[in-house]
Amino acid sequence: MANVCLAVAIAEVAIAALLLVRLAAGPTVSDRIVALNTMSTQATLAVLFFAAFAGRTIYLDVALWLASFSYLGAIVWSRYLERGLL
Amino acid sequence: MREGIVIGLAVVGLAFSLSGVVGILRMPDVYSRIQCSSKTITMGALPVLIALVVAEGPVSPYGSRALLVAVLLLVLNPVASHALARAAYKAGVPMWAGAVTDEVAEQVAAKQVAARQVAPGQAAPGQADPGGQAPQ
Repeated sequence: MANVCLAVAIAEVAIAALLLVRLAAGPTVSDRIVALNTMSTQATLAVLFFAAFAGRTIYLDVALWLASFSYLGAIVWSRYLERGLL
Repeated sequence: MREGIVIGLAVVGLAFSLSGVVGILRMPDVYSRIQCSSKTITMGALPVLIALVVAEGPVSPYGSRALLVAVLLLVLNPVASHALARAAYKAGVPMWAGAVTDEVAEQVAAKQVAARQVAPGQAAPGQADPGGQAPQ
């Protein structure tokens, strides 16, 4: 079962790495934010599965924190997009 | 048996994640990409998390955290996607040239037309109302 967890973690990181193309080439800021938001979700899953592979419960806090607060980045960026800098 | 279920769920989730990421890379405008991003979360992340719950059991530290993360993703990511789509529209990000309809623009235009039609009519009753209400 540990091998499956490691394989899923590596696959999630590989899928997230594909999004670097959109992050670099996105024509507008919104495209880059979409790519970043999806990457943070994949990172949450990767950390969770790596915790299950390594058998360390302390890594689970990282995954929970990412799941709880990674959406704030998208919210803040969209606020600035919508109303300008002030 | 249990490992088979875990591998099946993980493969389903990873396949949907991959297809969503390919959609983000290939779709023509921001709004379609936001749709693909949401699909990656609901159909890509949830089966993978359920696979972890099946592998470790729902009461174990890993399984309970996976359930918590699933609930958080289900609640918070639509909020972020919605705010992002609204901000992109308000910031004037153009739609794809082949887009069929823009219902927000239609509604805004309809409201402006209605305001123009009501405005001259409101001026006369507004002046007539105090006189009309005074005898009552």
